[in-house]
Amino acid sequence: MRSRLSKNSLALAVALPPLVILGLFFVVPLCYLLFVSFMTNSATSLFDLQPTFMNYAEIFSDPFYWLIIRRTLLSTAVVLILCLLLGYPVAFYAARLSPRGRLIMLMVMMVPLMVSNVVRAYGWVAILGRRGVVSSTLTGAGIIERPMQFLYSFEAVTLGLLTILLPFMIVSLTNSLATIDKRYTEAAYSLGAGPWRTFFRVTLPLSSPGIASGLMLVTFLTLSAYVTIALLGGPRYKLLVSLVFDSVTTFRWPRAAALSFILLLIALIIAVVIQLVIRPQRVQGKG
Amino acid sequence: MGAFILRLVVGIVLALIVGPILVVIIASFSSGDSLSFPPPGFSLRWFVEFFSIAEMRNAFLLSIVLAISSACGAAALGLLGAIYVARVRNAFSAVLQMLIMAPLVFPALILGLALLLLYKTVNMSVLPGLFIAHVVVCLPYAFRSVLTSLQSFDTTLEEAGQSLGAGPIRSFLLITMPIIWPGVLSGWLFAFVVSFGELNTALFLTGPGVVTLPIEIFSYLQFQGNQLVVAAASSLQVLIILFVLMLAERLIGARQIVQR
Repeated sequence: MRSRLSKNSLALAVALPPLVILGLFFVVPLCYLLFVSFMTNSATSLFDLQPTFMNYAEIFSDPFYWLIIRRTLLSTAVVLILCLLLGYPVAFYAARLSPRGRLIMLMVMMVPLMVSNVVRAYGWVAILGRRGVVSSTLTGAGIIERPMQFLYSFEAVTLGLLTILLPFMIVSLTNSLATIDKRYTEAAYSLGAGPWRTFFRVTLPLSSPGIASGLMLVTFLTLSAYVTIALLGGPRYKLLVSLVFDSVTTFRWPRAAALSFILLLIALIIAVVIQLVIRPQRVQGKG
Repeated sequence: MGAFILRLVVGIVLALIVGPILVVIIASFSSGDSLSFPPPGFSLRWFVEFFSIAEMRNAFLLSIVLAISSACGAAALGLLGAIYVARVRNAFSAVLQMLIMAPLVFPALILGLALLLLYKTVNMSVLPGLFIAHVVVCLPYAFRSVLTSLQSFDTTLEEAGQSLGAGPIRSFLLITMPIIWPGVLSGWLFAFVVSFGELNTALFLTGPGVVTLPIEIFSYLQFQGNQLVVAAASSLQVLIILFVLMLAERLIGARQIVQR
């Protein structure tokens, strides 16, 4: 009895430090942020201690914010679809390599994934900018007369987000595809299904947990990729996360807090939609 | 035909992912005065320039120190959390696991904002605040790594130690730790790399004189234009990450790194 008691208290002592740190510096700040989003804006301090719904009401009654929300939804949808369409073939290819080949492929994916997003966005600035690779090549070949830039547009932001987030999608899909038991596809073949039918009826459904988790990760990262959007979209092309940043730099804390929770709400809605469309739970057993 | 198209798509995707990073590395070794392609020649002048700019040098040093210390913090907390989650199966253990993993997917910019508001309210100074933010963001990576190795650990070994009279702490240190240390080490290395590139949380949490390398690169790009010293800074970032990953591969094998 005594040893059991001390074992329990030892276990609790082990769990306590991470629990306290995350409680104080993750849960508490977010609750505080939610609290601030319902407070009145103040010119002198962080906020006035007067409860209000105005921060949300102002955002939802302003057509500008609706424009930005629609634009955010559109660009997230485009990035998600392209990530899936381009990432799946790569993961499919990687999953059928030898274990050693797959390891090398995943290592090649890991390096970009670890490099800071600011560096990867800068890479696109160096390619698409006025003195960049594309412009220099085109002027060199005589196709365009003067250097021109291809930045600060929907296409540039989408391309940047897509290439930065693709490795996350590919790693998620590859791990999911590599664990599918080969006997399932062999069974489909032996029952007379062709390669396409086998893919759509067996492999694709079995990989749905990987698809869902990859898409959710990409959603969350797209919605909060401020630096990529700022560098490739410039001052003209803004998404919702840019407005959070702008509210902070103009010291409108309650507004920034309210915008943050609208952003989180959008992320949550997209996550639910992904779960409903992909339905990863329907796969029983390995996948 | 189908196989050819598949290879083509794989090639294009790899080029899109790796291309921008290669362009930055090539540009950083340019001998020209500004960005141009192809570069006029090879030189290390922009790296020399990088270390001669005080802000860049300080940001680089701060990022290294911050990455080492927050990786230690994250590895220690991750180890503790993973021990509990691997050994205890109840609702609290599941909640703890979710809580530790949450910063992995949670929008980092919003976490940064929430922490900034909290820090402003309690008058926290910049450096400890930044350190804690880095620990929270790196914790999921360290935790996951340790948990994977703890889950494949055979607990009967530890029970054997305890039946021979070792207490739980002693048997853990003498038996379990030597077996799971590759997991702890890879967790540390992961946390190091993540902290070194951390951007979105740090955006709000840096202060005068306390700026990390990614934030310094970002503000240079925004306010000083497109200078090649930024390419050198970026190149250094990539080279250090490559170095750490290669070190990890040497110490614990590629399989550990990729499994995550």
